[in-house]
Amino acid sequence: MKLRDIAIRAGRSLKHAKARTLLTSLAIGVGAFTIVLSLAVGAGGRQYAANIISSNTNERALYNISVKQDGTDSSKPKKFTDAQIANYGGYEMVLLKQSDVDKMAKVDGVESVMPYFTIIPKYVTREGQDKYQANIEPFQSDVKLEYAAGNAKGIENQSVIIPDEYREALGFKNASDAIGQKIQIYIEKGASDPLNPEIKAFEYTVVGVNKKPTVAINGGTALQLTSDNMKVINNFNLQGTPTYGTYMSALVMAKDNVSVKTVKENLDKAGYVSKTAEDLMGFIFQFINVLQAILIGFGALAVLTSVFGIINTQYISVLERTQQIGLMKALGMRRRDVGRLFKFEAAWVGFLGGSIGSILAVIGGTIANPIISKALNIGDASLIIFESSSVAIVIVGLVIVSVVSGILPARKAAKLNPIEALRTE
Amino acid sequence: MIEVKNVTKTYGKKENAFVALYDVSFTIPDGASVAILGKSGSGKSTLMHAMSGLDKPEKGEIVINGKNILTMKQKEIDKFRSREMSFIFQSFFVQANESCYDNVSLPLEIANVSMSRRKAKIEAALKAVELIDKKKSRARDLSGGQKQRLAVARAIVNSPKILFADEPTGNLDSVTGGVVEDLLFGYNKKNNVTLIIVTHDEDLANRCDIQIHIKDGRVESIGGLK
Repeated sequence: MKLRDIAIRAGRSLKHAKARTLLTSLAIGVGAFTIVLSLAVGAGGRQYAANIISSNTNERALYNISVKQDGTDSSKPKKFTDAQIANYGGYEMVLLKQSDVDKMAKVDGVESVMPYFTIIPKYVTREGQDKYQANIEPFQSDVKLEYAAGNAKGIENQSVIIPDEYREALGFKNASDAIGQKIQIYIEKGASDPLNPEIKAFEYTVVGVNKKPTVAINGGTALQLTSDNMKVINNFNLQGTPTYGTYMSALVMAKDNVSVKTVKENLDKAGYVSKTAEDLMGFIFQFINVLQAILIGFGALAVLTSVFGIINTQYISVLERTQQIGLMKALGMRRRDVGRLFKFEAAWVGFLGGSIGSILAVIGGTIANPIISKALNIGDASLIIFESSSVAIVIVGLVIVSVVSGILPARKAAKLNPIEALRTE
Repeated sequence: MIEVKNVTKTYGKKENAFVALYDVSFTIPDGASVAILGKSGSGKSTLMHAMSGLDKPEKGEIVINGKNILTMKQKEIDKFRSREMSFIFQSFFVQANESCYDNVSLPLEIANVSMSRRKAKIEAALKAVELIDKKKSRARDLSGGQKQRLAVARAIVNSPKILFADEPTGNLDSVTGGVVEDLLFGYNKKNNVTLIIVTHDEDLANRCDIQIHIKDGRVESIGGLK
């Protein structure tokens, strides 16, 4: 018997038992629904995470550079070093000096070294406006920002990029009004009399106004100046204090032809600890994968339950159709073909269940997606992304599972003795 | 030609053994109509099963056109049955859910007849039993006589050489039974097909060329054989 004819006959006999077929399929459908949805959530989560990473990090960059410290055991006395140590709430960290920056710049594979520091100025203002507190960060070209007006292309030593909130606070009606206007940043001179501090105004021209970031972790909430400008202010700010001439951290860019990991190793040999973008964000992927695996586990459990449903239904079907099977065998149908007929029926059930579950999952996910995005306030980003390939794999997988479940009943049908089956007394 | 030589079939084992057929031998020429007569439990059905290769007697030979079907492999017997033989049963065994067309199509599908050649054969068979206007009706909507005619159509669709009929009129009244009988004998004469009817109906048996009486698993007498 041709496979095509077997498939058609299998489909027809399922059609004749609609309610039973549908109910058996629905059991698989639950599994398909869960698995398709978890795959979609995983895909969406990974893409969202990848967005965050690419918006906030550069894959050629190494972050959080610090000097390797020996003797992490804090219970033992440490040897004196002339390193500058900053203490943040009990967490000690060795600050980088200009000599460290110069040393790192010479390490193999290093393209550039940008010291990283934040400055908290006394206040920020412009003529005729109130004074506001602010943070200042060095401008990093690899952090992608969305601009309400202007852009970072024209940034130079007398330029500043301000967040949209500061644009409003500083009295610019809309973003384009701010472009080309001047604002003043007031910095306290280091080691000046605390009661009567010496304050100096630095004036900058606004070249860009950035929107509130949707995916950025750092960047976008502080005023941004060029790194060189920052150094000038920083030196003024820290003059005569113990942290003068030091940086909290640095950002190292790897050369294009060298792998970031190699540079990380080279820096390590030179005595500096660093983190790649992957190191920083890897945990997010791990978290998503674990979550997805748990969801898929539930789906697999549903599929396992439905396997028994299929076996049971198919056994009943074999019993019900004893005479039909007997007749087919009497007419010369081969055992293999009788078995195939029942396996095909199981396959149809799996296909139907897989399709129903997948379609419901896609419909449900598509409806839920904007609601979830809105509730989590993540803008236009999708947390549920359906990939047609993964849906296809799920359906094919369930068809295979169903066929495997159909093996035992199919074997029973194939072994049926036609004489017994056709006995009518 | 069908030659049955010294066929013995036993059911069960040792003290529970029951001899269904004992040393049965006869020969049926091609194109003959044969009645196998006997009371229930006489072994007549077992004989039919043995002759069609559904059952395997432990002793003897069944030679059809020079080939002993008892030594064939299962696969070969199945193929042989799908091409050369056909069955009609007392309880019809038509698929109630399926259309008449699909019912008749089954033997052709089993015998691997290509899709394009099926339609003409099925329609010819349905015409022969005067059910062509019921082509698309479901078998469950047919009367008993119509169901058996449908079974006849299914039996003749693939032009078999041997037609087995197990009490073909047992569930029918005399009028519809007569119609089915006429169909079977008409087909037997017209196409020179060997017709083997298992029955306990003497009138039906008397319409056949040969009557083989079976009693307690043995051939009691063979009538009509020249």
